Amino acid sequence: MLRASVIERLAIATASTALALLIGVSIVAAAGYDPVQFITSMIQGAIGGQSAIARTLRFSTLFILTGVAVAVAFRAGVFNIGVQGQFVVGGFATIMSIIWTAPLLPEGIIGGVGLLLIGFVAGACAGGAYGALPGALKAYADANVIITTIMLNFIATGVVGWLVQNPFRGEGNAAPNTERIPEYVSLPSIVFDSSGFSIIGLGIALATVAIIFVVMERSRFGYDMVTSGHQESAATYSGVGAKRTVVMTMALSGMVAGIAGAVFAIMIQGYYTDPSGIGTYGFDAIAVSLLAANNPIGIIPAGLLFGGLESAGSHIGIYTDVPVQLIDGVIGLVILFVAVPELFRMAAVRTGLGGER
Amino acid sequence: MSFAEYIKGNSGRVAGIVVLVAAAVLAAVAMDLPFLEIFTVGFVERSLQAATPIALTAIGGLYAEKSGVFNIGVEGFMIFGAAIAATMMWIISGGSPGQSDVWLAILASVLVSLAFAIVFAVLLIRYEADQIVAGLALWFIGLGFGPFMAVLVWDSRNSPSLESINDLTIPVLADIPVLGPIFFDTSPLVMFTAVLAVAAWKFLNDTRYGYWIQAAGENPEALDTAGISVKRVRYAAVIFSGVMAGLGGAVLLAQAGSFTGTGETMVSGRGWIGIVAYLFGNYNPLGAAVAALVFGGLDMLQIQLQTVGINVPNRLVNLFPYAGVILVLTIWGTTRTPSAVGEPYESEE
Repeated sequence: MLRASVIERLAIATASTALALLIGVSIVAAAGYDPVQFITSMIQGAIGGQSAIARTLRFSTLFILTGVAVAVAFRAGVFNIGVQGQFVVGGFATIMSIIWTAPLLPEGIIGGVGLLLIGFVAGACAGGAYGALPGALKAYADANVIITTIMLNFIATGVVGWLVQNPFRGEGNAAPNTERIPEYVSLPSIVFDSSGFSIIGLGIALATVAIIFVVMERSRFGYDMVTSGHQESAATYSGVGAKRTVVMTMALSGMVAGIAGAVFAIMIQGYYTDPSGIGTYGFDAIAVSLLAANNPIGIIPAGLLFGGLESAGSHIGIYTDVPVQLIDGVIGLVILFVAVPELFRMAAVRTGLGGER
Repeated sequence: MSFAEYIKGNSGRVAGIVVLVAAAVLAAVAMDLPFLEIFTVGFVERSLQAATPIALTAIGGLYAEKSGVFNIGVEGFMIFGAAIAATMMWIISGGSPGQSDVWLAILASVLVSLAFAIVFAVLLIRYEADQIVAGLALWFIGLGFGPFMAVLVWDSRNSPSLESINDLTIPVLADIPVLGPIFFDTSPLVMFTAVLAVAAWKFLNDTRYGYWIQAAGENPEALDTAGISVKRVRYAAVIFSGVMAGLGGAVLLAQAGSFTGTGETMVSGRGWIGIVAYLFGNYNPLGAAVAALVFGGLDMLQIQLQTVGINVPNRLVNLFPYAGVILVLTIWGTTRTPSAVGEPYESEE
């Protein structure tokens, strides 16, 4: 995948998505549903009208942020599968820090902005720390990052789930939720009149993309990160501390995931709930990042595409009787096909579309 | 490699297990826990049952990795195995499954897993897919389509109560104190897994085919020179690992007696734990089975703690195996990975 040119990558990404959707539609047809109606309601759910677009952008915001978190690590050759856990820990830290410090600050706009800053910093720090932990285990004990991060996802969901059910459950709450954060702590929607989406949230996501792009492409640290990912020995000869780089990479990746968690917690929920039911943004982010070949800029279109898919999924869940789990399966198929560029290269050669063998 | 040699070569690991168990015993004594009431025969039996799906998956994954292919998709295969066994049991029996339907469902699930494993092996070996990414993809495909099948059949991600497998009592042997009820009056799937672990160990270390598998992972050029197709050996190992993980999922379902498709599904990380089990067992099928038993025991510990009146919240106790995995990887992180793992092999002909 790394040797492919930009055009090849684009072609592979498009072909993977198209093939996965085609299989999804065939399964829909095979299961006895109307495929044409399925396709129209998918398009309707993704871009049909203002509220559908707002919903797509809401999901896209989260996919762009979590996608960048994955890309930072994958680009450095560190398989951080733990973005979901870092996202959960970050979001939970955001809500709790806001609830705890709210009584200390004045109400209104000034207090609101102050609490937002506190919440974002807390989310980034908690996510970063939860990412740095498996990084340190890799660097100093050689523990496989893929497996430790997957285990840490289960642990984050379990522990936060228990915390919101018991010690941190809001008073008198029937559901396992924390208290709500104050009304004045929110990201105003401004453009779309839709609860749960704020153009500021999308702005934060795009700004994060820009910052990460600059860090990875233009800074010394980014250079060290990418070289130690691809040529460990070369990096060591040029004086890069490979161990420190792994920890820093995981911390940075976790911080971005924590910011994603903060955006989710503040913009969408306003409280924290059992994380086993909040969606799998951190997992789908792996697909987003791979589709973009782990390039921060490429994350933007890939995130928009996944936002559209997710939005279409929730529309389908409400207005048709096709099970929404299908969309998750289709996302898995997209990842599978992205992993096999050779398949498309061979197909392109056979059909005379290009490519060399 | 004989068993004695294995113990010798892994003295660090064996000593580690001894130290861990000793520490657990000491802690239990120090905290004045009713030790005998926790470590009962029933506990060992339940731990063995919990260990079987993990052990089956671990043995398969171990063969694939020994042959030079990291099959990280075993979690996905397990989810499919469980979902297919559940839906098949329902469809075959027309909604009221009995014991024979359980066995048919396991068989059907193994056959479908075989078909999936062949496709997966072709993608990995012929089309040189990125093994890590493709394996992860398989997990997501399972997480999506597993519950999808359940929704198609039952309109819900969880199945109604189906049939679970009955214990098999072997006459005479079952009357031996302690060992009898543990090994000879238990699920036939436990017995099968115990036999399979020994067979897999003998096969890998004492047969020509076993050597081929090891050579495909350690020194593919030499195997090629000897006139054996590296790709064929790897195809066999990867397909075997997919089938074993599918079987692991089906066994998990046959023991639970119903399918759960919410959250991370009923498989809930057991495939990943299987991978850790064979790493911990240092690529030895017997070691992997013992490690699976340790994780199975951690999983069942909460029931024991509850029966003696220690109320640790379920949600937290359920996390023991995951924390155990991290601990194991941190202490014994460095394993002797076969040298050619992850590299596609191109024959020179």
